[in-house]
Amino acid sequence: MRRGKLIDLARPSRQHWLGYILLAPAVILVAAIIVYPLIISIDLSFQDVKLPRMGAPRKPFTLENYQKLFSSPEFWQTCWVTLKLVVVVTIACLAVGLGTALLVNNRFRGRRLARLAVALPWAVPEVIATVIFAWIFDSSFGLMGWIFIKLGLANQMVAWFSDTTAAFWVVATTMVWKGYPFVSIMTLAGLQSIPEDFYNAAKVDGANAFQRLRWITIPSLMPVLGVTMVLVTLWVFRDFSIIKVLTDGGPLKATQTLSIMTYNEAFGFFKFGYASAVGVITLLLCVVASMAMLGRGSKAMY
Amino acid sequence: MKARFLKAAAALAVGAMLATTSLTPALADTLKFVSWQKDEKGVGDWWASVIAEFEKRHPEHKIEWTKVERAAYADTMTTLFAGGNPPDIVHLASFEFHSFADNGWLEDLTPWIEKSGLNLDGWSGQKACNWQGEIVCIMMLYYGAIFAYNEEMLASEGVAVPTNWDEFLAAARKLTKDTNGDGIPDQYGTGHETKGGAGQYLAEMASYLLDAGASYTNAEGEVTIDTPEMVEGLQRWKTVISENLSPRDLTAGDIRKLFADGRIAMRVDGPWLYAIMEQGAAKDKLKLAKVPFDPPLGGSSNVLAMPSEIDEERKELVWDFISIATSDEFQSSFAKLAASTPPSPRADVSAAKAEIPHFDLLVEAQQAANAAGVDRIPVGLEIPFNEFSKMVQEESQRMIIEDLDPAEVAKRMQEKAVALQ
Repeated sequence: MRRGKLIDLARPSRQHWLGYILLAPAVILVAAIIVYPLIISIDLSFQDVKLPRMGAPRKPFTLENYQKLFSSPEFWQTCWVTLKLVVVVTIACLAVGLGTALLVNNRFRGRRLARLAVALPWAVPEVIATVIFAWIFDSSFGLMGWIFIKLGLANQMVAWFSDTTAAFWVVATTMVWKGYPFVSIMTLAGLQSIPEDFYNAAKVDGANAFQRLRWITIPSLMPVLGVTMVLVTLWVFRDFSIIKVLTDGGPLKATQTLSIMTYNEAFGFFKFGYASAVGVITLLLCVVASMAMLGRGSKAMY
Repeated sequence: MKARFLKAAAALAVGAMLATTSLTPALADTLKFVSWQKDEKGVGDWWASVIAEFEKRHPEHKIEWTKVERAAYADTMTTLFAGGNPPDIVHLASFEFHSFADNGWLEDLTPWIEKSGLNLDGWSGQKACNWQGEIVCIMMLYYGAIFAYNEEMLASEGVAVPTNWDEFLAAARKLTKDTNGDGIPDQYGTGHETKGGAGQYLAEMASYLLDAGASYTNAEGEVTIDTPEMVEGLQRWKTVISENLSPRDLTAGDIRKLFADGRIAMRVDGPWLYAIMEQGAAKDKLKLAKVPFDPPLGGSSNVLAMPSEIDEERKELVWDFISIATSDEFQSSFAKLAASTPPSPRADVSAAKAEIPHFDLLVEAQQAANAAGVDRIPVGLEIPFNEFSKMVQEESQRMIIEDLDPAEVAKRMQEKAVALQ
């Protein structure tokens, strides 16, 4: 009887136990597949480890990986490429995503089809989309090179992946194509939650379409846009497959982001300690970027 | 309540015991073998025959053969070894085993070779398996490059089969053209991978460098990049790529397919090209000849090894597997099934010669490359090979993109290679 009372979760003082119990499997799973590897990675970053081994004795503590990293021009170039890509892709995704969401939020014939078309790139697996773009931008037989010649923009096929600037824009274009539907879907959901009364009142006050967008739509969407921007930024930060398949970070590291550098150092050059240091710095940058973006700017204005 | 709990615990314990007992013999009887060649026509069939023979000789044991794609192979093997769960039969590419050996993960095979009396004299490419005084692997393929060309394309331009660099360059220039008049070249003189892995990039450049007398290191492992020969070799590579005599930014797989389909006139490649040629749209027009470069490109391809940490009983079994694969009988069948040159000098290749018209050419190329000591992995740069090849790839790309003087590039490569060592 006494034991029965011990596990009586209906008692008001123990009701919170149920929450913990229900959360426990998820917390344990997250700890096992995210927190534990994270701790291992942080620990590895402070050791001079080439190929790690589970259960092997820990090597002496060292800051060498971080010293080498911060004095490496390659690391700073990679940070710059990552920053450029994050800014370009995030802004373009937000612009295209918001634009398409506003478009398909209107009532017109074939709206369902248009909404489907807008969301379609989201449904295409990333690697397949990347391979399609690789062929579109093929330097010898690609469609884009042919279009450029026919439009008189080039007099011969463009070597998209042998030119540092061109390769960067090919990667950015592919990422925007793959990433904008997410913004579009999120924004569309946000648009549908804005009360119609706001627009009616604005119309009565004589506000034109641009003014309604500037003073009603955008401010009302800020919570959605803020979270979406964080998610898109983190996606660009950590995305691997698009760059790996398209350029592998080349040419001349013009498209090498921190995630590609982490992979290459670990599995290409077997420098797991150094790669872990790159991974830890990437994590810190992601945390800082998320905190900055989830600040005041993402709060609703009304 | 307590009794019920005890009953449940006992049931669980019995269940776990039964499950473990029933699983244990199965796990002990199964050897794990991971390879990227499982589905490859020819060589995959040969591995299957080795496995069948092993299972025939050891009916109580099975081999669990798993395919891992080549692109993900190094990652997978690293993860398996790092997690303390390596495959029993270790199959690695010859450019990647050094890191595993350096970490002490591969067994020294010297005592096993001595005990079994396996004669490795004259075994092509075997020298590459010597690592810090130990024999850590057995070379499974050392190949010599062959020259494939589209006979119709050469004849239509009145070009003879090239026999040296100058003739090759002249032919490549003549054969690169726009055939449909849309202003875009759609036929190329030759084909090289310029996008993708750094190791393959080096292999693509290698023929020009070797023919110019260049090498990355000497026999003592000293870096020898900043030489007139290397400058000449780099100049040749720059000429071929900058003049668009090869399609740009394609992988080796794409290039082979384009050659097989009649969009590329000439290609230097390994023996595996023949199987792809046979499936191409232009297969009747494609011929093979001796490479117009001297010495021909050659290289170690893949090795068999044994993990150092498995128990003795398993090591015996793995060695039995290696013994079968290296036996005269299976080295002879390798020639026929894989249509490739076996590393064993005792292999009977008469059946392969009877079936494969160009087999003599393969043997000749392999012997010439082996005699010249050619390999894709430079001596003294085995451990940082991936980093080295990435550096060479990037500096070569920089030379082409920024139109740099090859002499300047060779100097920078030399400095970086020495720093890597």
